[in-house]
Amino acid sequence: MVTEEKKGELLEKLKNAVISYDEDAAKEAAQEVLAVGMNANDAIFNGLVSGMVEVGKMFEAQEYFVPELLMCADALYAGLDILKPHVQQMDLGVRGSVVIGTVEGDVHDIGKNIVKMMFDVAGFQVYDLGRDVPLDKFLEEQIRTDSDLVCLSAMMTTTMTGMKKVIDDLRKKNPNIKIMIGGAPVSQDVADKYGADGYAKDATNALKDAINMVGSLKKMKDEAEAQKAK
Amino acid sequence: MNVGIREELLGQGAAVVGYAVLTGHLGAEIAHLDRAVSIGVARRLNEDTLGILARLQQRVVRRLKAQGYRTLAVPADSDRKRDTFVSKLYALFNHKMAATSAGIGWVGKNGLLISPEHGPRLSLTTVLTDAPLAADPPFAASRCGACTLCRDHCPSGAITGSEWSRSDPYVELVRLGECRGHKAAGRQLAGKPNCGLCITVCPYGRKNAELSRCG
Repeated sequence: MVTEEKKGELLEKLKNAVISYDEDAAKEAAQEVLAVGMNANDAIFNGLVSGMVEVGKMFEAQEYFVPELLMCADALYAGLDILKPHVQQMDLGVRGSVVIGTVEGDVHDIGKNIVKMMFDVAGFQVYDLGRDVPLDKFLEEQIRTDSDLVCLSAMMTTTMTGMKKVIDDLRKKNPNIKIMIGGAPVSQDVADKYGADGYAKDATNALKDAINMVGSLKKMKDEAEAQKAK
Repeated sequence: MNVGIREELLGQGAAVVGYAVLTGHLGAEIAHLDRAVSIGVARRLNEDTLGILARLQQRVVRRLKAQGYRTLAVPADSDRKRDTFVSKLYALFNHKMAATSAGIGWVGKNGLLISPEHGPRLSLTTVLTDAPLAADPPFAASRCGACTLCRDHCPSGAITGSEWSRSDPYVELVRLGECRGHKAAGRQLAGKPNCGLCITVCPYGRKNAELSRCG
């Protein structure tokens, strides 16, 4: 078994590797985690992710800017790629699947990718449609994968309007589906106006909201089934 | 601050190293990293140039980070395959701009960075940072002079013969479509896209070259 001391040291290493955007250090620490037989979930959540949370704070405080944020995300993935095959079971209370993409006409996908990363580490099944995604594709993919959640991203006010159509189409087919939108021009007002369930200011918030939404969706499904059973 | 980086890199395989201040020349996302270490490696055949560049970059990054500065290592243009988050930002940046700003050379009529000692035979990479590096004197104008060897030898006629200067950096030097078309045709015909005549004929950095027309 790993000693608590060693565990703490490795978690600190993973965290610092992400904060100091050092891919090599992240890989090294992840290898060491496996070598000493430490729990991979623990390493991901209390090491890599807590580093990213710290980075998020630094970004908000304008200590870090976009390049640092991206390099930190790369370092996180460097560690995650090594640890992920060894993850037994994520237990976040809920597990869900999510369709995510940047809407047609928009090629900006940095924000979308960071949100995707948070879903990845949280153990969601992620169906990533990429960027500049034709509007009909979202509904198609949601039906195909029976996902609980659809996340739309747009960086420009001109492409943002496409989200309204996607939301309307999804609602028509499946009124219970949860929809989140995000991106620079998006605000709570826009989310309300378009009929989205959630709007995410940043990746950490997106994950929190998503877990709540999927939780409530699962509950609704359970209740509906319980009704039917009666 | 921080001499020592240059010496270290020159001892590890770099042909030229320069420091630049790029304030006002960078996109908003990377504007806070306005100092650059521009690194050139002399191209040799059968040598892992990209590997050398990456290792040199890493030395700079480690050194600056150890002193508490931020860094962004932008890989060489021919080394951008990796699908990483940060690779999205590379398009915002131009190695030649950093190299001319760092006094390594000018942009020749063939559109390539020309150094007085090595000619167009350098592979470039850059580390951006917020460390207060003292800048080397930048190149303000081309030193190609009356020389038109590259234009005369270009098989696709892509080289316009215009001259670069810092005050007019957007003048068209090479009609890129024609250069690319020629290389694509070469690939179909010979299996190799290589052309490189404009590098071969450049008198700067070439042995026994006649520099009288250059200036």
